Amino acid sequence: MTNESLENVTLELRRGVIVLAVLINLGEEQYGYSLIKGLKNHGLEIDQGTLYPLLRRLESQGLLHSNWRIEADRPRRYYVLSNEGKTLLPRLKQEWTGIVSIMDKML
Amino acid sequence: MSTNLIDAYVSEIGHRLPRKSHADIEAEIRSILQDMLEERSQKADRPVDDEMTLDVLKAYGAPEKVAATYQGERYLIGPRLYPVFLTVVRIVFPVIAILAGVGAIINVAQHVASVDDVFRTFIYVIIGLVTSAVSVLGNIVFIFAILEWALFRAGAKVDVKGLPKEKEWDPRSLTKVSLPNQVKIGEITAEIIGCFAAIVIFNFYPQIIGFGFASNGAWYVGAGNWTFIPLLSERFFYFVPYMTLVWGLTITLDIVLLRMSRWNMLARITSIGLKVIGIIIAAVMLAGPSLIGITAESLSANLGDASAAQTLVFLLSQFVHLLVWLIIILGSLDVIRLIYRLIMGKEFPFLVPEKK
Repeated sequence: MTNESLENVTLELRRGVIVLAVLINLGEEQYGYSLIKGLKNHGLEIDQGTLYPLLRRLESQGLLHSNWRIEADRPRRYYVLSNEGKTLLPRLKQEWTGIVSIMDKML
Repeated sequence: MSTNLIDAYVSEIGHRLPRKSHADIEAEIRSILQDMLEERSQKADRPVDDEMTLDVLKAYGAPEKVAATYQGERYLIGPRLYPVFLTVVRIVFPVIAILAGVGAIINVAQHVASVDDVFRTFIYVIIGLVTSAVSVLGNIVFIFAILEWALFRAGAKVDVKGLPKEKEWDPRSLTKVSLPNQVKIGEITAEIIGCFAAIVIFNFYPQIIGFGFASNGAWYVGAGNWTFIPLLSERFFYFVPYMTLVWGLTITLDIVLLRMSRWNMLARITSIGLKVIGIIIAAVMLAGPSLIGITAESLSANLGDASAAQTLVFLLSQFVHLLVWLIIILGSLDVIRLIYRLIMGKEFPFLVPEKK
């Protein structure tokens, strides 16, 4: 497998994981950049160009809420799970556990 | 300069975003960039400067790339509509070609007065065909682009007639219509148009198939007020009612096929029967007296050149014979193909050896 193919497959793998990671980390309000840093601290690095459009998409799907707030004289956009997102998250976690268990057996 | 750079960068991204959301996205990107600069400034233990701003902007990415991440993939004609678009093009283009052909024949019959005119008309027909094709394609693309835009705006909620609906799709439909039994819409439509054109020309405008002569001896194909010598003989026109019947039945069968969207045994046998009758008519025509109505005498009287008239009549006779032979050969090949499909279509399963 070439490096490029490996990169593409890895990207595909990460794409689904990122949605779950973002939803898990937005149980409490966070602005975009703090979310990126938080995920990085957990060992999951996300490109800015991936995260912000994803946040908007999740918001348009009704899974997140966002609001602008002025902090230290400048505006920041804060994201948090919506009620729908809160309902969905446990089921997504369960789904993830199932996938991990199946893959563990395969690996 | 740092603020100017950020302003210019954010504005570059904003230009590429939809009007509805660009202000919001611009504000968010500006806020993120300020967060990034603040972090770098703290790490480097120095105030934000141009070099730092340039580094941050470079890390964030080219404006067009950033804008693209907010837009998703957009299509002029997307994957949902593309198969329908292709089907429409495949139906419309043969229709244009046939209409151009019929138009050319009528044009030649009405306006051509010399050999030069034939070439000129031919060139006009080609130019007209290309222009019509480009124009029609442009119109189809335009209509589909509007449809795509409407679908994009409506999201995935709208169902377009003719588009496969995932929920309703039943895999068992695959076994219902095996590939050889699927009706090819383009092929059937072309056959309907061809048969219709033949019925109209041979029954209502037989005068356009012939030669007319002006008083100065110049020849042209067609009738009008000129001396007219029909190309085809009475013997040929004796068969026209029979051919019309075959063409009419073929059109009826084709319409039924279009409605059924699949071939069945009865349709295949009817189609084979009609083609065999057509071949028999062609064979009888070939075996009988000349199909050419022009004689060397009648032609030389107008052309004024006996040997040229003789050569022309000979060539025309050979051409018509060749054409009838071609109809017989192609018709026979088609019958063989239809019989093969009848067997492969599993209408007669006992004829298909079982694969182990």
